[in-house]
Amino acid sequence: MNKKSLLLISLLTAMTMLFAACAPAVQPAAPAQPAAPVQPAAPAAPAQPAAAVAAPTEAAAQPAAPAASGNKVVIKWFIGLGTGSDPEQQEPQKKAVADFNAAHPNIDLQMEVVTYNAAYDTMATELASGNPPDVVGPVGTSGAEAFHGAWLDMTDLIKETNYDLTNVDPMTVAFFKTDQGQLGLPFAIYPSELYYQPAMFDEVGLSYPPHKYGDKYKMPDGSMVDWNYDTLRKIAMMLTVDKKGKTPNDTGFDPKTIVQYGFVDSDQNLRGIGNYWGPDSIVEADGKTVKIPAHYVAAWKWWYAGMWKDNFIPTQAVIQSPEFGATNSFNSGKFAMSINHLWYTCCIESAGNKWDIAAIPATPDGKKVAEMNADTFRITKNSKHPKEAFEVVRYLINDQALNLLKTYGGFPARKDLQKDFLAALDEKFPQKPDWQVMLDAIPYQDIPNFESYTPNYQETINRLGTFQQLMTAQGDVDMDKEIAKLKIDLQVIYDKKTK
Amino acid sequence: MAAVATNSKKNGFFLWGMSPNSRREAIWGYIFLSPWIIGFLLFTLIPTVATLGFTFTNIVIVQEGAKPLAFVGLDNYTTLVKDSQVWESLLVTLKFAAIALPIGILLPIALALLLNSKHLRLANLFRTLFYLPYIIPFVAAIFLWSGMLNPGTGWINQALRAFGIANTPNWMEDVNWVYPSLVLIGIWGIGNDMMISLAGLQGVPTELYDAAKVDGAGFLTTTLNVTLPMISPIIFYNLTLGIVGLLQYFLVPLVLNSGTGQPGNATLFYNMVIYKTFFTYQNMSYGATMAWLLFLITLGITLVLFKTQKYWVYYAAESR
Repeated sequence: MNKKSLLLISLLTAMTMLFAACAPAVQPAAPAQPAAPVQPAAPAAPAQPAAAVAAPTEAAAQPAAPAASGNKVVIKWFIGLGTGSDPEQQEPQKKAVADFNAAHPNIDLQMEVVTYNAAYDTMATELASGNPPDVVGPVGTSGAEAFHGAWLDMTDLIKETNYDLTNVDPMTVAFFKTDQGQLGLPFAIYPSELYYQPAMFDEVGLSYPPHKYGDKYKMPDGSMVDWNYDTLRKIAMMLTVDKKGKTPNDTGFDPKTIVQYGFVDSDQNLRGIGNYWGPDSIVEADGKTVKIPAHYVAAWKWWYAGMWKDNFIPTQAVIQSPEFGATNSFNSGKFAMSINHLWYTCCIESAGNKWDIAAIPATPDGKKVAEMNADTFRITKNSKHPKEAFEVVRYLINDQALNLLKTYGGFPARKDLQKDFLAALDEKFPQKPDWQVMLDAIPYQDIPNFESYTPNYQETINRLGTFQQLMTAQGDVDMDKEIAKLKIDLQVIYDKKTK
Repeated sequence: MAAVATNSKKNGFFLWGMSPNSRREAIWGYIFLSPWIIGFLLFTLIPTVATLGFTFTNIVIVQEGAKPLAFVGLDNYTTLVKDSQVWESLLVTLKFAAIALPIGILLPIALALLLNSKHLRLANLFRTLFYLPYIIPFVAAIFLWSGMLNPGTGWINQALRAFGIANTPNWMEDVNWVYPSLVLIGIWGIGNDMMISLAGLQGVPTELYDAAKVDGAGFLTTTLNVTLPMISPIIFYNLTLGIVGLLQYFLVPLVLNSGTGQPGNATLFYNMVIYKTFFTYQNMSYGATMAWLLFLITLGITLVLFKTQKYWVYYAAESR
């Protein structure tokens, strides 16, 4: 063998060894574990409303069936990015599919159900492989923005089919309109409201929070003040007590022995807290520059002080503790007030049967804002049959509305269906909460929504979540420094997808 | 392959210049090798080279804002330098490795020394018991451990409370205890390394121990001057694979807390960030860039190990 050949063999062997060393089959020494061929749980995704609050079960993913024979157009309906993958939801969904197929002989609608934990990865794989589903839903804003750019603008289809949008609030239509067009139609909405425990207010002689947007609040001294977050802070501090019955306003108050908190913002993220002070975006109009609105900073500082200085908001350790509901805080019965969405009625069975709902406080400049979650069905941009897909969406949102809304626990965006839904809620909650508050909140939804688009969406949410975890875990955070760092990090994150 | 090599030596490596018989033998050799070669090319070499190409583009799963696929030069690399999450996660990985690696190397040897002791009764039983956890399906084992480490209901904390320790650790939620928790989970699976160490120990010539005994060496002196040098190739093997494995560590935290990095990003390992960059953030090019950085770091450390082995690894069968 000559020198050249030997060199070539050696080089190939060395490269082989190097690449083999990088292969996933390597058996590392303890304590590192070997890479087992296992389906890992998907990373944490933004919370989804309604039935997804209960952990999705491990219903097996049902792959799409082969295309129907004949001249039928096959439409694939992907379920799992939001609710819809629980076992008890399958029969109603199958019924919806069967009814649709019976009524549409030219279309073969096929379901693909994926568990929530695997849905993001599955959807990403299908998009990347050029085999996207046609219809996706029900999916909320967060789930949809994780695949920003993948959705069809339905404007032309709405015009062509003369789709009737007069039976929904115009704000709910605007909710799904972005710079990329009308990407969804109103289906299920979940306005936010202030859940509160009247008994706790009675105990300290406080007036209840106002139920009408724009009403003032009566303080203990009889003065009428604006119902905003400053007022909420004041009364929340009066409603927070330690085991000796002292409040944060009292000398000798011990924050380590609090038995009742005045306020908790359940399931809210930093953008949601920011939107309490007024809806905004964390992206400039150019779509690639970070913006941290000044009022977001103010809202975050208010919230942080509420946890560590004024002590009326629980920290993460408290929220996670079993004594305070193990993340289902208001349900523990130890919180006087909580902001949450309508879908929270799924999970409130232990909060007693006396709670009620009130208007969300106004922003510091007096604006009425009630944040919204909303689910709908979307059509992928690369669907080969957009017209047929739109027919499916139209059918699910209208003809199957009652069947599916009941399945998903969603409040109808259609005004003509809302009365029946509220009647069902009254049966479930005998104290008959003031649902009118929730209806009144619809026009005040936050646009831009607190889950609206940012570049590199999932990574942005992740980075914000890291900052939020820091705030809830440590009482000595330099907020200005961390926010400055957040801004730099977010710009790097945006640049990854916008350059 | 030997026939090919032998004939190649006589007649040249490639098929030209060979005698017809040699060529026929060589062709059959390559045919039998071809499944591995094709597999290696298709599933390892070509994809690996392709990812290098990806690092110079802007491949994402869903192109935001209808941006076309483009060559972006060194943008991904400059972003890598500026990305604090990359360096923080590398630091997390190295911090964990600094704790886990010594334990992962020394503990199997210590157990093997105990198992190799002539005074131990029922050695076979202990060997089996130590090895058994290794064969339990990995994800099932992690779920089991998450139950055991539960701060409220886990039996470890219950046992500690029974011994009068009121302030039991919040294992997976406390930044001070999360690494010991992960090390505990890892220790459970050291059976394989222990068996390899034991095999190495049993290969040490007994006359060396006799000679040491004659010279008056005690247990510690014998271990340090006879046993460890003789099993240094095993230690080198475990160390190399241990470092490679720890740099790729992510499956345990992924299963335990869905890759959130909690508590406080203490479990946001570098490979976890790569996984999330690929599959959660859908940024294939940037993920490929991060993967290549990991490859270079791993390669660098491995080369250092191989270079320095001549100073501390003793191969009894070869001359130094």
